[in-house]
Order: sequence, then C-alpha cells, then structure tokens
Amino acid sequence: MTKLFSNIGQKWLALPATVLLFLFFILPVGLVIQQALFDPSFTTAHFERFFSRGAYLSVYLNTIQVSVIVSIICLLMGYPVAYFIVRQTPAWRPTLLFLILIPLWMSFLVRTYAWMVVLGREGIINSVLIDLGIIDKPLKLLFTTGTVYVAMIQLLLPIMIISCYSAMTEIDQSLMRAARVFGAKASRAFWEVFLPLSLGGALTGTIVVFILSMGFFITPALLGGRKDMMMANFIESQLEQAAWGFAGAIGAILLATTLIVMWLVRMLTARFIYSARSEDL
Amino acid sequence: MKFKKFGIPLASLLIAGSMLASGSSAADTTLIVAGSGGKLAKSIKKLYQDPFTAKTGIKVKSLATRNRASAIKAMMAAGKPIWDISSLNATEYATVSANGWLEKIDWKKLDPDNNIPAIARRSDGIVSASWSTVLAVRTDKLPAGKEMKSWADFWDVKKFPGPRALNNQPRDNLEFALLADGVALSDIYKVLQTKKGVDRAFSKLSQIKPHIVTWWKAGAQPIQMLNDGEVHYTSAYNGRVTKLASGGTPVKIVWNGGAMHLSYNGILKGSKNVDAAHKYLNFTSTNPERSAAQVKIFPYPGFVKGLYDYLPASLGPDLPTFPANAKVQVKIDSKFWSANREVLRERWEAWLLD
Repeated sequence: MTKLFSNIGQKWLALPATVLLFLFFILPVGLVIQQALFDPSFTTAHFERFFSRGAYLSVYLNTIQVSVIVSIICLLMGYPVAYFIVRQTPAWRPTLLFLILIPLWMSFLVRTYAWMVVLGREGIINSVLIDLGIIDKPLKLLFTTGTVYVAMIQLLLPIMIISCYSAMTEIDQSLMRAARVFGAKASRAFWEVFLPLSLGGALTGTIVVFILSMGFFITPALLGGRKDMMMANFIESQLEQAAWGFAGAIGAILLATTLIVMWLVRMLTARFIYSARSEDL
Repeated sequence: MKFKKFGIPLASLLIAGSMLASGSSAADTTLIVAGSGGKLAKSIKKLYQDPFTAKTGIKVKSLATRNRASAIKAMMAAGKPIWDISSLNATEYATVSANGWLEKIDWKKLDPDNNIPAIARRSDGIVSASWSTVLAVRTDKLPAGKEMKSWADFWDVKKFPGPRALNNQPRDNLEFALLADGVALSDIYKVLQTKKGVDRAFSKLSQIKPHIVTWWKAGAQPIQMLNDGEVHYTSAYNGRVTKLASGGTPVKIVWNGGAMHLSYNGILKGSKNVDAAHKYLNFTSTNPERSAAQVKIFPYPGFVKGLYDYLPASLGPDLPTFPANAKVQVKIDSKFWSANREVLRERWEAWLLD
C-alpha cells in the first residue's frame, strides 16, 4: 500500500518537467510542423519545393554526411580519452576532466574564429612553415571541407568524452577483476566486459554529437568553402524574411532525419549494449 | 494563461507569457524600442534615449533583437505588439511594410519643421540610417604602382592577383557583377528586370567564382580577413572598414560602385504609444547636431538636413551620403529585391553549389 502510494507520488514528481516539455518543446515542434503543412490551408508545397530542387537536396545530403562522419570520428577519438581518464588515480581525474571542460566554456563562435587565426594564410601554421623554409607559399588550410571537419570535431569532442566518461565511472570495477580472476587476459576483459558496459554511454555521446552536428551552421559557414553548406543556413535565411512555412518544412525534415538516424542506431546496436544496473543481473 | 483555441501559434503563446511576466500596468509611458545590441545600442542610449527621457519624462527600454520580421509576424499573430518602435533593415522593412504591420506616420507631428527630405520619408516609416557595401582594398597588397578603382578591377585577376571575398547573397553581388561588366549605374535595375540581365550577372559572377576564397555571412568576417591578410580585396560594410583603417591596417574604401542601403524605423501596428513614439522619432531623427554626434561614432548617417554642418570636414568622405560618394554608388532598389529575393536566392544557392 505504501509502495503504491509512493509510486503515485513519484509520478507526480515528473509533472513539472512534463508540463514544461509539453509547453516549450512538444507544442512548439507541433506548431512548426503545422506552419509547414498549413499555409493557410493544407499544402505539401513547401516539402515539394525542398525535394524538387537539386541545391537543397545536395545540402541535405552534405549535412547528413558531415554529421555522420563527425560523430564517428568523435566516438573513435573520445572513447579512448575517456578510458584513459577513468584509468587514472582518483586524484588525477578531476584535473584531466577540467582540462576537457575548459574549451566548453568558450562560445562556439569564439573557438571558430580561433581556428581562423591558426589556419589562415598568415596564420600560425603557415607562418611557422614559411619561416622554417618548408614551404614558400601559404598552404590553403582555411575555407576547405577538411577544416570544417577538424573544427567541428574539436568543438564537439568534449561532449563525447564526458558522455563516455560518465558511463565508464558507473561500471563496477570488480567486474573487470572478476573476469581476470576467471582467467581472462586484460584485453579480453576489456572487450567482453568493459566495452559492452560502456557502449551505452558511448552511443549516447555519439547521438548527442550527431544531433548537434545536424544543426551546425556557423562553423561551416565561417571555415568552409562555398559547397560546405548545412541545412541550418537555409532555415536562417528563410526566417530573415519571416517565411515560416518553408523554414518549418526544412526544420521538420531535419528533425525527422535526426529521429530516424537515432532510431536506426538504437536498433542496430541494441543487442550489443548491456546495462551495469543490478535489476538486469 | 487562457487558451482560446488550440491552434494558436507558438509565438502568441510565448508572447502572452512574456507579457504576463513583464506586467505592463505602469501609469507612466515606457516605449519599447527594438534595435541591435552592443556598442550601437549604448551610443543610442547615451545620445538619444537618456536626453529624450530627461526632456519628456517618457521612459525608453531598448532591446537587442534579431530576425525582427519574424518576431513582428509573431506579435501580429498574437494580436498585440510588445515593441512600440522597431529598427528595420531594408529586407525587414519591405516584409513588414508590405504586410501592413506598421502604423502610418503622421509627418506633421514627426517633422513639423521639415528637416527630413523626401528621400527619407515613407508613409509608414522613416529612414534612420544609410550604409554601404563597398569594395575594400588592402593597399599594401596592391601590385606596385597600381590602384584598384572599380569592380572591373576587382574582376581583373591578372592585373590584381590575390585572394578575394564577397558576401554570400545575390543582393549587392548581382549589381557589382553588372557594373564590372560595363553596365551604367543608372541602368542596373533595368538590366536586372530581364531574365537575360540576370543571366548576364550570374555568368559574370562565374568568372570570379574560382578566385573567391570565401563567401562571407557576417559583417565581421571580411574585416577579420582583411586584417589577417586572408583576403586582399573584398566587399565589406563601410563603417567597419573605416574602423579597421583607423586601427592602423592599410585598408581603403573604393566608393565607386558601392551599394547604398537604407535602414528604417517604424511604429508597430497596434502600439498603445503611437503618440509617444512620434515624439521619440522626432527627437531622434530631426536634430542635425544630435545626429552628427552619433555619426562621429558610427558612420551610418541618416538624411536630416544640415548634418554635414556639424561634422568635421575630414569625416565627410567616409560617409555613404557624402555627395561625392552618393553620386558613384548604386542605390539598392528594395522594391526589386522584395519582389525577386526568393527566386534569386534559390538560384544563387544552386549556383554556389555548382
């Protein structure tokens, strides 16, 4: 009886967050989609416009491609760093985490401009190489697709590391020791115990990085070439003219794509993920 | 909060929320003025708003805003504006005015002494400032003994080698391309009205495309790139180039072929303070001495008569409305652009990806 009562009590605790999410997330998203479909009566014109123009489609595919590649590279780079930090003595971990966190406190815009200083024609890399006599004309580093990847990975990597790290700290280290006691080599203990248990956090990080990448536009616009356009650029230029219908359609397409990719990732990886929580044991 | 019907747009909801939060029941008048933030807002507060409050007792609250056309659309959907006055760029003004979201200006009230010339008067707004997209040149990067004087020179990559940039939008650039192709200033929009003219502008732009290292999106970018030597020649906003030059960077404005734009102030439809708003616009727009103080800090002049009498002679040549500068620039035709923006932007985006 008391248990039932406390269950109900717990549900009520979720009410403020639910109301908040409904009013400021679900409802607005619904209204964005409404803007895209009713203008003022039902129309699919905004969506047709998007899919009938080659330019929009190629930017759409570019956005997905950039986001997928950035997420995968962030995963491959961030996971080992998080693992390294978890393996340090507890005294060291906060310091290392702090170093990871510092760049997160600076705005994306500032960090993007910092890349311009580093990679420019007269920037740090080019002037050092020229002074050393290695090259005599500045290399074209800025305004290339490669730079967009480098900068986006640098901007998003801390998020990945923190997500992996928090999953790894939840893992009961005695499980690893148990594996070793039963004769597994260190590498096998990692692959069969640690990795599956930390994969959930790693995938969460990957998905968060993917979602953030899909909405990026300042960094590609400032550092990329003319073809490195992202979907969010279109939304911005539509809003400038109060053209909500088409902006809403682009937003809806972006959202749908993100959800589908998230769902695919979850589907494909579900059987590899274990939870370290006791109720599953 | 009451919900009359379910289909209320998000905006009205948010606005209703923010109105509840701000609780506007004060007896004394407060004008809400939407502008941009930063140093410009600080200067406007000091030179215009504080003296205005001191003189009239009307309080002014200024807001740092973006995407104002979208915000105003939301307010109109909610049936009640939160802002009384909004500054509007040409694109925003075209959208907002065409939709009838501005109050009519009573010019007898706003400018009884006739200090504002016809060029700056609209039925539902006042031209508050002018600014130009100009060709900016790093003079130390020019080939010895040569000077860049026109968009034709900008297009001449043999005579003037070096990295270049332009802004990422069709407006300004189609005009520049036609000028480079030899079209006379006065014929630009006659040519652009035709499909053939637009084709001509795009094919001229295709010639320079491989030499443009980046297509900038924000006004700060070309300035940063000029300063870093990232580009030697680029289009840029005049006030920022002047500021860069005053910091010691060897950079010069080519006024010939610049694109002159206008910014506006308008009173939002349904404002409760239309009368006070007129007083505010009268105070801020019709006094040349006050305007001169502002122009000395931000070189984006309005059209108030007698402005140049209060400016040092050295400052004049840095301003878009200086007669010698105004004469050689394209006056951007906002009617043409509000009618053709969508089509040309789509074509521009496809062209850029091509």
